[in-house]
Amino acid sequence: MRPDGEQWTGAPMTAEAPLALSAPGAGPSGVASRPRGRDARARGRSGLGRHRARAGILLSVPALVLVLFVLIVPIGEAIYYSMTNWNGLTSQWIGPSTYTSLFTDPVFWRVLENNGILLLAVPVALLVPLGIAALLHEHVWLWKLFRSLIFLPTAVSWVVIGMIAVRVFAPSGAVNFLLGLFGLGRLETDFLGHEYTAIFAVALTFVWSMIGTNTIIFLTGMSTVDPAIYEAAVLDGAGRWATFRRITVPMLKRYFQFTFVITMITAFTALFSLIFIMTGGGPGYGTTTLEFFVYQQAFDVGQFGTGAMLGVVLFVILFAVSLIQLKLLREDQ
Amino acid sequence: MSPEVHGSARASRPIVGRRRAQVVWREARRDPARVVIFLLLVVVCAAMLYPFVFMIVNSLRSENQYLNGAGFSTVSWSQLFANLPVGRELLNSTLVCVASIAIILLLSSAAGYAFAKLHFRRQGLLFFAIIGSMMVPLQSIIIPVYVNFANLHLINTYLGAILVYAGFGTPFATFLMTTFFRGLPDEITEAAACDGLGHAESFWRIGLPMAKPALATVAVLQFIQIWDDLLVGLLFLQEPTNRTITVGLGVLSSGRVVSVPVLMAGSLVSALPAVVVYLFFQRYLVSGLTLGVNR
Repeated sequence: MRPDGEQWTGAPMTAEAPLALSAPGAGPSGVASRPRGRDARARGRSGLGRHRARAGILLSVPALVLVLFVLIVPIGEAIYYSMTNWNGLTSQWIGPSTYTSLFTDPVFWRVLENNGILLLAVPVALLVPLGIAALLHEHVWLWKLFRSLIFLPTAVSWVVIGMIAVRVFAPSGAVNFLLGLFGLGRLETDFLGHEYTAIFAVALTFVWSMIGTNTIIFLTGMSTVDPAIYEAAVLDGAGRWATFRRITVPMLKRYFQFTFVITMITAFTALFSLIFIMTGGGPGYGTTTLEFFVYQQAFDVGQFGTGAMLGVVLFVILFAVSLIQLKLLREDQ
Repeated sequence: MSPEVHGSARASRPIVGRRRAQVVWREARRDPARVVIFLLLVVVCAAMLYPFVFMIVNSLRSENQYLNGAGFSTVSWSQLFANLPVGRELLNSTLVCVASIAIILLLSSAAGYAFAKLHFRRQGLLFFAIIGSMMVPLQSIIIPVYVNFANLHLINTYLGAILVYAGFGTPFATFLMTTFFRGLPDEITEAAACDGLGHAESFWRIGLPMAKPALATVAVLQFIQIWDDLLVGLLFLQEPTNRTITVGLGVLSSGRVVSVPVLMAGSLVSALPAVVVYLFFQRYLVSGLTLGVNR
């Protein structure tokens, strides 16, 4: 990256990496281990420690209150209401049986199938950016300009991307035009008009949207590899492909894990607007993913209880993935 | 690092013009694969820029010209501003963004400073509660929050939307600020505290000014996220008068009557501020994105 861009990420961040690493998962133990010694020392030194503790609480409580109000209490409410018949005003307790009836509902599985298809798109959303990052890393003429342009769509909202995607996948749109151009006219179709081509179009748009972010992350990863290693490889007569396979890819392991997690989280939680604009969840349930189903059940159908339950299911899935990711990271070290 | 970066330390002036062209040419002759790579990157950029070209070209057409794919006019732009409260929506977006980001910056930097530099009992629990909330997706809490806010009469108020955005952005921002403050030497803040500044004051006078780059990263990440959001805006700001530009556009496009060129003009207007922020603060965005790798 640009040298000035690293003035604080480069130095203090990486130095702190091992500490920060333990933070999200192992919060209590990881953090408490450091302060404990200080607390003891501070307590010996009269009121100084108490002042500091009071300031600490004073400064951190406002953030906690807001997070409690908007995230923690509501997730508790979501879990409670997921076991009720709730229309937003009144609710009747039903119990955990709501979940068993959800899991026997074919529509639910149809929706999960769509999430599964998006999950299949995740590797593509990693490999394409990996290739582009490798190209950029050759530092050919104008590569910095290319880097900026490739990253530019990151700033554009899903709403705008969706509106353009509707035109791109339309019968007279760019995709059909390109298919005709390459002699694949047989495949020309109204992509958003059929269930399985519609989810394909959504997945493709999603992959396109991830290119900017993931390319930049991989490129950052590549720039952390010591150039001396590459020079040694070149001296040993290794070609481009061999250096890429044997050196670059293994060095990027952490970056793969990170991009996989954020790409998956994006696929499962950030595509609401895209689907809302592109297909409205249709045709049928063709592009209704879990997150879109939450909105639909609550705000179109008025079944707030079912919506809350779907939200809880989504939360559990993402939580499990994050735990697996953390575990993999631990084994790494 | 790139060879350019190392080179720039030695050569005070960058190689430009004809000499630059000669260097490029020599490179290409020596290694033709680089020409292929260059061309591939041109193709990738074309694919990434296609939406922008599509928006610009088609916003400069009337509806008929769009259908025929030929000719240009500015009629769609005047239609956009004549029929839609674009100015109002931009103002709403700005207001909501600025207020939410201000709250996020204030709360997350204070909490981050406390977690990194002040040590207190139950600190681990508090930290875990805030940072752990990063894992809660918006869709999982949006329904209870909507109902709670409806009971508090916060639907269709700026405050309601601002609180949701601020609350949802605070966990990651706190994580980022904690990481940043941990990177500052303890001596700086300790010295300030010993000089008679209280801890809260040393946060305000010493910690915060030093944290500018981290604050910029948080602000840029949040700006793009909030400016581009549809779901929260759709639920919490439903009136045409308090709508954000992204919601205005979303609602517009789901009604099927409106003409595509007008939509494209609206899209450009809505995308422009985020693109400008991106262009000016690109490096903060990049550092914010890649920060998570070292978690």
